[in-house]
Amino acid sequence: MDASSYRPAVVIDNGTGYTKMGFSGNVEPCFIVPTTVAVNDSFVNQPRTSNKGSNWLTQYNAGVMADLDFFIGDEALARSRSSSTYSLNYPIKNGQVENWDAMERFWQHCIFNYLRCDPEDHHFLLTESPLTPPESREYTGEIMFETFNVPGLYIAVQPVLALAAGYTTSKCEMTGVVVDVGDGGTHVVPVAEGYVIGSSIKSIPISGKDVTLFVQQLMRERGENVPPEDSFEVARQVKEMYCYTSSDIVKEFNKHDKEPSKYIKQWKGIKPKTGAPYTCDIGYERFLGPEVFFNPEIYNSDYTTPLPAVIDKCIQSAPIDTRRALYKNIVLSGGSTMFKDFHRRLQRDIKKIVDARVLASEVRLGGEMKSQPVEVNVVSHPIQRYAVWFGGSVLASTPEFYGACHTKAEYEEYGASICRTNPVFKGMY
Amino acid sequence: MILLQSQSKYLLQLLTNRLQNLDKGVELDCQWIEFDDVRFNVQTSVKNSHILLLSLSLPTPPAGALFVGGLPYGAIEAIKAAYGTVVQILDPPKDGFNLTLKLNFSKLSPDEDTRQALLMKVASVREVVLGAPLRVILKHLASRSLAPNMDQLVSIVHRPNESFFLIPQIEKVTVIYPMRFKDSTDTCLATSFLQEFVEARRTASAGLNNAPSCQWSPSAPQELEGIPAKELSANAGFVSFVIFPRHVDSKKLDRTVWNLSTFHAYVSYHVKCSEGFMHTRMRRRVESLIEALDRAKSDQDKTKKAGTKTSFKRLSIKDSRSNSNSRASASWK
Repeated sequence: MDASSYRPAVVIDNGTGYTKMGFSGNVEPCFIVPTTVAVNDSFVNQPRTSNKGSNWLTQYNAGVMADLDFFIGDEALARSRSSSTYSLNYPIKNGQVENWDAMERFWQHCIFNYLRCDPEDHHFLLTESPLTPPESREYTGEIMFETFNVPGLYIAVQPVLALAAGYTTSKCEMTGVVVDVGDGGTHVVPVAEGYVIGSSIKSIPISGKDVTLFVQQLMRERGENVPPEDSFEVARQVKEMYCYTSSDIVKEFNKHDKEPSKYIKQWKGIKPKTGAPYTCDIGYERFLGPEVFFNPEIYNSDYTTPLPAVIDKCIQSAPIDTRRALYKNIVLSGGSTMFKDFHRRLQRDIKKIVDARVLASEVRLGGEMKSQPVEVNVVSHPIQRYAVWFGGSVLASTPEFYGACHTKAEYEEYGASICRTNPVFKGMY
Repeated sequence: MILLQSQSKYLLQLLTNRLQNLDKGVELDCQWIEFDDVRFNVQTSVKNSHILLLSLSLPTPPAGALFVGGLPYGAIEAIKAAYGTVVQILDPPKDGFNLTLKLNFSKLSPDEDTRQALLMKVASVREVVLGAPLRVILKHLASRSLAPNMDQLVSIVHRPNESFFLIPQIEKVTVIYPMRFKDSTDTCLATSFLQEFVEARRTASAGLNNAPSCQWSPSAPQELEGIPAKELSANAGFVSFVIFPRHVDSKKLDRTVWNLSTFHAYVSYHVKCSEGFMHTRMRRRVESLIEALDRAKSDQDKTKKAGTKTSFKRLSIKDSRSNSNSRASASWK
């Protein structure tokens, strides 16, 4: 192989909320930025000038400028807040890419202005959610090979990478259930020996964004003094900074009522329009936010199955010989599993369900047979927030990675359809 | 964002983070690569938390480039001039790198602004090191003299095994870039981009009159006689700029050096952008064509389509049996 094989691969994990990007072989991603693009609209709706001679030229130039004038990530958020000429665009919704134009621009900025690398020099590892249709994988391949001329591309499945991240931190285990709670979607994915059990994937419509919305709703209903245009952003930051998982809601309510000074936090902010400072209290939403995963009925009435029950159902639908191993290795990934004590609560609740079932079956058999206790273990590690990225970094630093990539030559020979198949999913489609 | 910035975003982020959490020293060892094959490595340890080791590896120079002891000509002096006592050059450098700098945070000035300015400067270390020979020549141009012991024709590395050429004279410096691209589509786009680029300089009514004049030619210009043919194999032609002393005033010097030394990256970035925008337009066109097709369909078609929305028909065992039966009976007849 040529020199490109010695260069580290670029690993980009595009999540609904945040994008993690960096080079393989590192422990941390270089940048974690919100997945958002701010596009300048002012050029598009420009009124036609009366001056006829320069008209086409100005319009042409305006078009060119509009193409170049955009920002991503935190810069995009800052721009759209400070001036009304930029409009925000979230290219990924619920784990799926919705707006390919914005996505292409986003990648362009990631590569050229954040990582500042030449895409022709590096292999790329991108990620996708387990439910991504093959068509959108083709689209990704098309953009990567046609626009950026990447020499090789690998599209990995997020839960497998999350499992691979745990691979190095603890034991060598490629069997486990990945509970991926991101901003846009929650998936429970069983993996056996590195292969995804596709038929048992469960997803639930409650994600990090719903926690934010719930916090926002709670604060609004209590009448906190938050400017409406800023309230979602404030709720997001409250969620990220102050929320935690309680072991029992009733006890937690009592604790808060007894010692409000200890549990109630203050939030200080500045109104974006007037610039006046304001403060508000953060109370019960600190533990009620994450509670939507365990008691969804407090958030909406449509979906009421708690996350532990979904995980249990998922494992029960997996092949019987893998179930014990799956219970033993439940791996968390995604930013919304970062709440304090989330894994403890999850482990306790799953254990409760499992023990109840074991007890019931023992009673049914009349105590003749004694089954071995089932070990339930929820694994949590400090890099949970970017576990998927880290797994990608580990994977891309192995020499086998370069062999598993789709290469540019293959793309030119067979077309975008090479991206349909995935080594991990082989046989599923 | 139209121009590439000289400071590396990641390096700046690392340095600022480090400075804010000096007392909470964490171990750090990361490396990354920027365009044109410039490698970075940053190392810190828990024990000496105010020390940061920054290693840099540069693109391999082709024969004939201005390289002294593994570094571009004048790099050591440039580093000393830019950073002063905060940075120390370690000799020999870390294995596999051309240069290792030892950054001492305890020697940073307490003033917030100068500190920030220095961090910015460290983050643009690449400009300081790789642009050093260019800076020496342009500085002499500003004072209207010739750099001593320099050839008539200077070649400066800017990409692995590729260099661009300078012809320093007292009144002007001519900079010539052979443009090479790997991909054939890229080559076409770059060629027309460069022609347009030259045209824009020539015809633009306002604002560009003071910009350096530039030329594009498909074959090597005469000035480059005597250079081995291998180094002159360019598939997207040659671009030359003429730099006058007014372009290298004390204020403009840094930017001129940076823009000249990353010209190739600038062009390839724009080629990639234009490809992206063409795809955007193509996608929009396909969508509008599909819409037009949809509109042309008669109502009957539409209802039919709605009826068979599922891509496959679910058959139960019974169905398939009856189907095969009917087919069998048909063949009997």
